[in-house]
Amino acid sequence: MSTDTNQEAREQLIDLAAEFYDQFEGGEIPSMTLPTRTKSNIEYDEEKGVWVYGDRTSTRSANSVRGAQKLLKAVYTIEFLADQLEEDRSSTLRELYYLSESWNNDNAQFNDQDESNQLIEDLEIVSEVTREDFHMRPEESGAKVMGPLHIREQTNRGERDIHCQLDVGQGGYQIPNNPDTIEFLDNDADFVLCVETGGMRDRLVENGFDADYDALIVHLGGQPARATRRLIRRLHDELELPVTVFADGDPWSYRIYGSVAYGSIKSAHLSEYLATPEAKYIGIQPADIVEYDLPTDPLSDSDINALESELSDPRFQTDYWEEQIELQLEIGKKAEQQSLAARGLDFVTDTYLPERLEAMGVL
Amino acid sequence: MTSFQSTLGEEEGIAEELAENQRAISIAEFFEKNKHMLGFDSGARGLVTAVKEAVDNALDAAEEAGILPDIYVEIQEEGDYYRLIVEDNGPGLTKESLPKVFGKLLYGSRFHAREQSRGQQGIGISAAVLYSQLTSGKPAKITSRTQGSSEAEYFELIIDTDDNEPEISVEETASWDRPHGTRIELEMEANMRARAQLHDYIKHTAVVNPHARLELKEPSEHFKAERATDELPEETEEIRPHPHGVELGTVMKMLSATDSHSISGFLQEEFTRVGKKTATSVIDEFRDRHFGREMSWETPTADDGDAVAAAIEDATANKGATATADFAETIATTVENRERICHHKLVDIVESAAESAEDEHGTTFGETVRENAVEAAWAELVGDESDESGSTEAESDGDSRIVADLYALADDATSTRKDDAVIHAFAERLAGKFEDAEDLRHRFTHAALRSAVDRAAELTEEYDDAAFGDTARENVVEAVWGVMRTVPDDPPLVRELTEDRDASSQLVDGMRATDIMAPPTRCLSPITDELIEAGLRKEFDADFYAAATRDAGVSGGDPFIVEAGIAYGDDLEAEGSADVLRFANRVPLVYQRGACATTDVVKQIGWRNYGLDQPGGSGVPNGPAVIMVHVASTNVPFTSESKDAVANVPEIEDEIELAIREAARELKSYLNKRRSMEKRRRKQSVLGQILPEMAEKVAEVTDNPEPNIDDAVARIMNNVLVERELEENGDGQSVSIVVENHTSTTESFELTDIVTAEPRELSDGANVVEMDGEWFIKWDGDVSSGEEATLEYEIEADASFDLDVSGVESEKLTVTDQ
Repeated sequence: MSTDTNQEAREQLIDLAAEFYDQFEGGEIPSMTLPTRTKSNIEYDEEKGVWVYGDRTSTRSANSVRGAQKLLKAVYTIEFLADQLEEDRSSTLRELYYLSESWNNDNAQFNDQDESNQLIEDLEIVSEVTREDFHMRPEESGAKVMGPLHIREQTNRGERDIHCQLDVGQGGYQIPNNPDTIEFLDNDADFVLCVETGGMRDRLVENGFDADYDALIVHLGGQPARATRRLIRRLHDELELPVTVFADGDPWSYRIYGSVAYGSIKSAHLSEYLATPEAKYIGIQPADIVEYDLPTDPLSDSDINALESELSDPRFQTDYWEEQIELQLEIGKKAEQQSLAARGLDFVTDTYLPERLEAMGVL
Repeated sequence: MTSFQSTLGEEEGIAEELAENQRAISIAEFFEKNKHMLGFDSGARGLVTAVKEAVDNALDAAEEAGILPDIYVEIQEEGDYYRLIVEDNGPGLTKESLPKVFGKLLYGSRFHAREQSRGQQGIGISAAVLYSQLTSGKPAKITSRTQGSSEAEYFELIIDTDDNEPEISVEETASWDRPHGTRIELEMEANMRARAQLHDYIKHTAVVNPHARLELKEPSEHFKAERATDELPEETEEIRPHPHGVELGTVMKMLSATDSHSISGFLQEEFTRVGKKTATSVIDEFRDRHFGREMSWETPTADDGDAVAAAIEDATANKGATATADFAETIATTVENRERICHHKLVDIVESAAESAEDEHGTTFGETVRENAVEAAWAELVGDESDESGSTEAESDGDSRIVADLYALADDATSTRKDDAVIHAFAERLAGKFEDAEDLRHRFTHAALRSAVDRAAELTEEYDDAAFGDTARENVVEAVWGVMRTVPDDPPLVRELTEDRDASSQLVDGMRATDIMAPPTRCLSPITDELIEAGLRKEFDADFYAAATRDAGVSGGDPFIVEAGIAYGDDLEAEGSADVLRFANRVPLVYQRGACATTDVVKQIGWRNYGLDQPGGSGVPNGPAVIMVHVASTNVPFTSESKDAVANVPEIEDEIELAIREAARELKSYLNKRRSMEKRRRKQSVLGQILPEMAEKVAEVTDNPEPNIDDAVARIMNNVLVERELEENGDGQSVSIVVENHTSTTESFELTDIVTAEPRELSDGANVVEMDGEWFIKWDGDVSSGEEATLEYEIEADASFDLDVSGVESEKLTVTDQ
């Protein structure tokens, strides 16, 4: 958290306000142009190996009442962020939402948190400064790491050296909001195993999978937070660890994998920092459902829609995914990670994961 | 049970006894018992009706005399009674006519006139007098002064209900401050419960009579409606009746009264829009009804033609072979050259052949010869059984010619699904009707033809077991009637017609059936759309007014014009449904709203299309609107004598709808514009708040002075921006006023810049006028969308400015004058 970065981020923001100023002075309609953030406007960046926004843009302009309100809110937010950076403080996205109440201007107040979250993303894109550098953090990071990794974290209370297996409780090491404050000291890990559900993570930890296989077990907790994805990326880049994702066998879990591996649509501008294109999907694969004869639920209508939408999602247009998704649509079934318990509590650690990891060439 | 018949016989003289009790009822007596028919059914309503009748009379009287009406109405409380006083500035009434006008029912100048006027029957005001005397027992007090007379006449009178004559109790001269006019004072049992209707009546009368000044003083209120125009409505002209609008009784009366001898003269003389040509068409229609038409048959082919010639030769005796052959040949050839031939045409042909044969051969072809020739040729042409040569030949062919002819007509006229044999059988039967007809000339009226066809069809249905329905019969009748020919017989003379009710009726039918130009409209006096708008503007405070006057139409021979007007917004009552004002011949209709064609039409129109709220998509629309409809006609069809509602006549309803729609279209575009302006205003007011806030914040964040946002705002609002730019220039300054058009259309502006020093080097297109030490720079022009225009001048440095821009709607205008 150097003052330099703060200063830089602050200047970027003020430049943005200056742009509005110039537009006013020039008799132009103030506006802000952003890449269109939809599935159809992301494309694969060959060079970086991740999915980024395409060329299509949409403009927020003061031409309409809605647009003018958005820009007004943007200016107020810029002022707030600039002040926050100057004072070297931080706040959460939710705090920003509530803070707008104190702006003493009805037109500048956010209607809901989605709006303020989106505005922060807009500012990130336009200013090319990440949210973390604005000192904005999400509410729940929640994700935890367990495994043979020794790190040093910069905290408000000074540096802390932590071993993510020996120095932590059963819950593991909590990933901070800005994982760039972590320094990797040492590790004995062979690979990273990202797990979707808390139940499965607890099962693996209880069964000692991290110790037995030298795995860094990262709990994703549903859609992984940015900090989690950033840490995974760093583990892969800096420690050269293979990354695997272990999730449920349904379309929503494929999206979780997608955001780890390819980046999310909402934060495609940050894919370069957050996505780990080399991440591999362990399962549950539709093929596993057949092979292991897992207990299943039928696909609901929304599952089918989600699968079909994934077929048209550029991130999933690979032979592997097309084959898996089509298979799933054919069998019309989905299975949870924990359905493996039907074969015994140890089945997942003794049989399923070793088999899959071996097949994937990780072990 | 005893039958009535038997008692009748027994009781001698009952008819006489009954007859003793029977006597004529005077019209006055009749209305005494039927007050409701004239709108005097309650005290509240009676008062309104009395005001209405008196005011209508007064307006008519003044207008007729070319005087701008000035009418004063006063209602005084008088114990249990009310006293009604109505004064006008009309021409006044003569001593002789006055008692009759007010004291005799059905006395008036208008009943017989075909001209638009308020009153018609001559019932109204005398009915009010009657009502007053019946309820209060007091006479009517009438003062009248004719122009130029030094004194006014004063009468007190009642109506003698037994013989419908005025009974004068006081008759004297009096002095009166009006130079001319009439004043009537009636006392009656009444109440003011219908105050709202009374006010409406006066107010609405003012709307449709913008040339009149009206004043109402009643116990609790007093108001005036001033004139909106000094122009009297155009004088109407009386017109003769239109042939489409008269009934048999009227025609018979006219026939006995006319000086004309011939029907043609009668028609041209007594009716409007009938010239020689139209008269001939009417007479032809009359002939068809009176004499019937003659069937025209297909003429024979050349071979058969020889048979015609032969038959004529046979029938002609002692005229020499050459002359006879020539005569026969001429007839046969002429007939052959025609497509069809009817009896009277054949007569014509024989006549002319005889003439030419006489000329050529010097032989006389007398009456008998000609008749024989006609008879023989006709028999041959229609294949009469009695004529041996023709008929046998025809029958050997299978069909007589007329059967073949009728078959072809019937086959064309009926559906293709009909069996050929059935049509053939039908044609044979119908041909039989012609052959059996007493009139050898084959004359049939339309009705007779129809019954012949019916009979033939019935027989066909009976014997051939085939359907021959109404449509088929009608089609056959029309097909045959279509080839039948109007006969040239002379129509009866007028004097013969007067005695012949049936023939008169045929004449009326003929008149109705003839296409005749619509009656002239100079007998109508529409208010005109401009004055309707002025009238509405005067009586209603609204934001928007529209009016439409339709072209004249005709209903039952009476011309009529429909006009409509709409007022919207501002002070009009926004809650509940719109006000519908109904007028007939400039008279407001106050009662029986629901029974009126006008209301029906208003309810049928889909007002949502025109931007008004209409719950359920039908009915009177809601909102701050007044919808007025005026029907002007020489004879407005009312539902009752009290003249409260226009009857549902389709032609009039159609015109009412078109007139309303015409005005409503204007309302729609007004409302659309208003909505878009309102949207613009709302946007402007929100953005007018947000943008300065944003500019302020931006300035704060970037640490700059506040930016000038006018340009940006004008652009955002798609406005016309007028901006003054000043630049120092030596001792003085250069001024430029820039008009930037950010709208999507071309805008015209008028700009006035008032300056305190003399401007120099004014740019082209502008001019300057000095007034009391101030210079008015005027400049106007058009700027197309996206363009700008600039006014430039030089002026002293210490001059001050005052800029005013008009021509551009304020919602679309941003002026920044530094």
